[in-house]
Amino acid sequence: MKSARDKEKRPGGQKQYYRRKKVCKFCVERIDSINYKDVKLLSQFVPERAKIMPRRISGVCSQHQRQLNDAIKKARNIALLPFATE
Amino acid sequence: MRNYEIMFIVNPNAAEEEIDKINAQLESIITSGGGKVEKIEKMGKRRLAYEVDKHREGHYVLFVTSANGDIVRECERRLRVMDAVIKYITVRTDEEGRRLEKIKSYRQKRAARRSKSAKAAPTQSIEEAMQ
Repeated sequence: MKSARDKEKRPGGQKQYYRRKKVCKFCVERIDSINYKDVKLLSQFVPERAKIMPRRISGVCSQHQRQLNDAIKKARNIALLPFATE
Repeated sequence: MRNYEIMFIVNPNAAEEEIDKINAQLESIITSGGGKVEKIEKMGKRRLAYEVDKHREGHYVLFVTSANGDIVRECERRLRVMDAVIKYITVRTDEEGRRLEKIKSYRQKRAARRSKSAKAAPTQSIEEAMQ
């Protein structure tokens, strides 16, 4: 999820960037349990290199990021998600 | 007693009966130890995310049980010994379940409170209309 950046010129001539506020997907959609079996949900947070997406990019809150971390690692253990892709 | 989920992957070349046999064995271990099998779910053949013992596919089976540590240890030992099983994982779920229940009850309470305050006005008007 990339934030939309709007260029805007200030009277001083400096460019000002406006960044859209990121929100936690799990808080907004009220997803309580992040289950390791839910590959469809988890795979949204593992880009093609199969690394776990950092919070600063996905906007997930810290509590949910921790749960997500655990779930992804469990899923990797049982070969539902890859550890790394070549 | 705690709730556990045991998930394991069976060799893709194994026959359906072989999987049933493994399931029956595990079930007997759990029930004879005093545990309870709540659900056995055969999730079917799936592609593995990475190669395991040269296999690219596998039959996934999920056990949802309530058991104690000794039973789980015995199950894991059995699974390790079985040739057809290529991977297994045990996850404890009772803490997570309790957490979810707490959230659910909290939500219900909040919803009840909200609907009560919201309902107070309209129900009155309905009663008035009926009179």
